[in-house]
Amino acid sequence: MAGLAGCTGGGDDSGGGGGGGGDDEYPALGNFPIEGDTATFGFNVPQSGPYASEGEDELRAYELAVKHLNEGGGWVDSQFDDLSGDGVLDYTIDHVDGDTATDADQARQSASGMIQRDDAIMISGGSSSAVAIAVQGLCQNEKVMFMCCLTHSNDTTGKDCVRYSFREMFNAYMTGQALAPVVRDAYGEDLQFYQLYADYSWGQTQQASMEQFMTDVAGWEQIESVATPLGTSDYSTYLSEAQSSGADVLILNHYGLDGANSMQQAIDAGIDEDMEIIVPLYNRPMAEAAGGAIEGIYGTVAWDSQIDNTPSQEFTQAFRDEYDRTPSGPAQLAYAQTLQYAAAVERAGTFYPPEVIRQLEDYEYDNIGMGAETMRGCDHQAQRDVPVVQGLPASEQSEGTYFNIVNITSRDDLGYACDAGPAAECELGSYE
Amino acid sequence: MSLLSDVLVILLNGLQQGAIYVLLAVGLSIILGTLKFVNFAHGALYLIGTYAGLFVALNVPLSNGKLAEWGFSSFGLDIGFFAALIFVPIFVFGVGLLMERYLARAFYDRPDTDQILVTFGLAIVVQELFRVLFGSNSLPFEQPERILSFGSFAGLPVSGPIALPIVGNFPQWRLWVIGITAVLVALVYLLVEYTDFGLVVRAGTRDAEMVRLLGIKITRPYIVVFGIGAALAGVAGVVGGPLNVVNPTIGTNILVPAFLTVVIGGVGSIAGAVLGGIVFGLTTAALVSFAPAWSQVGLYAIAAIVLLTRPQGLLGDEEVSP
Repeated sequence: MAGLAGCTGGGDDSGGGGGGGGDDEYPALGNFPIEGDTATFGFNVPQSGPYASEGEDELRAYELAVKHLNEGGGWVDSQFDDLSGDGVLDYTIDHVDGDTATDADQARQSASGMIQRDDAIMISGGSSSAVAIAVQGLCQNEKVMFMCCLTHSNDTTGKDCVRYSFREMFNAYMTGQALAPVVRDAYGEDLQFYQLYADYSWGQTQQASMEQFMTDVAGWEQIESVATPLGTSDYSTYLSEAQSSGADVLILNHYGLDGANSMQQAIDAGIDEDMEIIVPLYNRPMAEAAGGAIEGIYGTVAWDSQIDNTPSQEFTQAFRDEYDRTPSGPAQLAYAQTLQYAAAVERAGTFYPPEVIRQLEDYEYDNIGMGAETMRGCDHQAQRDVPVVQGLPASEQSEGTYFNIVNITSRDDLGYACDAGPAAECELGSYE
Repeated sequence: MSLLSDVLVILLNGLQQGAIYVLLAVGLSIILGTLKFVNFAHGALYLIGTYAGLFVALNVPLSNGKLAEWGFSSFGLDIGFFAALIFVPIFVFGVGLLMERYLARAFYDRPDTDQILVTFGLAIVVQELFRVLFGSNSLPFEQPERILSFGSFAGLPVSGPIALPIVGNFPQWRLWVIGITAVLVALVYLLVEYTDFGLVVRAGTRDAEMVRLLGIKITRPYIVVFGIGAALAGVAGVVGGPLNVVNPTIGTNILVPAFLTVVIGGVGSIAGAVLGGIVFGLTTAALVSFAPAWSQVGLYAIAAIVLLTRPQGLLGDEEVSP
């Protein structure tokens, strides 16, 4: 248990120490040192609630990552020189999973159980920024590392950032930067737009970023912006209001099941005949649920199996071999974040969290299918490319293929300095 | 946009949102009013109706769940939406009969808490069973293009937007949902108010013991009432399915609004369920238009006000003391 480990210190030599790191060198912290010869990872994903589809695919990828860490295969063999396929630092990797139910309180309780009961040395998960922010705060307090999976709010690595959490996913700010020039070129300037947004951390920062970049870069004017409760199933009245506003563009800042519902209902109401629709953040399960309603709609995705490079192809193949299905963007994030953590442990030569954190800060990599990336030290936000996509018509969709990749926006055209944008509000907190 | 069109849009959206709840609430209400049985598995019947509707009407690709793992890459007969409107209520009626005979009947004389626990448990079991079979991924339930097409008659177009005077574009299927609900509820109303069957059921609601003393086997009407309530939930699943994407949680999510509709309207009253549904839908639609932040709270506030001022609901009867 984290609390007990903190009290007992690292004095014994019963296999703890975290491999390589001497006990005197690294005092007990969080769930370090690990007792026995098995290190446990905790995967905290939504298995119910509006983001359950995303959670299901994440869990598949986490389990695949654990399998590859212990037995070799996938990126462990081909892309991660630091990893051997024989566990991590001679520890066999085990895992536990929990259901966040897409709810911050339940997620915190679930993560707390993994830390206290299961002695998890690392937690990963997400799908809902409110969940990720709640869990990363807990992990900072417990001194257990959190590898964010699907969280897109600016606040995750902005005002709510913590030292013990790292995010591979880009954020709403970068989505705004990537989308604005594309939609400006597609639909023209001097347009008016109307926003609906999910009323919690992600939706709020997503709305603010879209307002900022659609105004500054695309030269559009916002008419109105309306919050909708997370988990709304019927958007008809919200959509009627948007339709009657006279705006040219409707931006639907909804995700998961909510996004599939609002998109489909917008198309059923014929809104696409009067307005252009934009869904800033998409993913594959969401597109699958919305069916033909995504046709022509622009958005960004975490990653897509159509991205043509060696790591992407290898991951897609490994996932297909295991599950006979094409992986989604959230699955790629889950797999990548697990291996990133394990590789950092190998480089550090210990599971001692501050050393692992130092290995990840400002780490440069090019092995997870999104080109050259840096995990920035100042806010723990990956600096990476952002894929901009457009939904395919129902007739051109097939299992795993729902989008046309319009542009992979270079990280050189995105982001912000360490003292600007969301990072200006980030204070990471202590290492120990 | 004029005030008139604003009001009309709110009216139409409100009626449509209320319609699904009316269908569910009528079923819940007659079961609760007649059999004094609190059926928390009513949402599960809606869930069964939706998936049964998908099965009959469409051929849906599956990429998730045990069915997909067992090699069923798709799911459905693809014989049309009208067929689903016929077959699904019959099927869910049968499910309702089985549920009454083998579950509910054993709990009629037991406390409400027992009924709630057993039916809520059943609802969770059904939900998880669907999750195992179909996975957590949502399935698209596409709106029917046309219904009633046969031979050279192309049928009636029912999907896509329709241009209404003053209002402008409105999703056509939502108007059909209002219409189908109105017809079905009218049929149930006629059955309960103007037939011998209805007379026995209504008498049983007031005083079941006296009905038995008059030599009427009340268990038969009871099982039929349960079946009708279930069938209405099944129809609600079929007509409501295409309004949202479909996944195993839809039954649980719809249960609370359906019960609120019953509470507002009054237990046992079909007219009350209709009124409750309309109040529910209009309140939600109006709040979304004028005060979105209060759209969810407002509904509970109205339910609380109704309970404080008229505990029996807007059109419910006062409890008859034994």
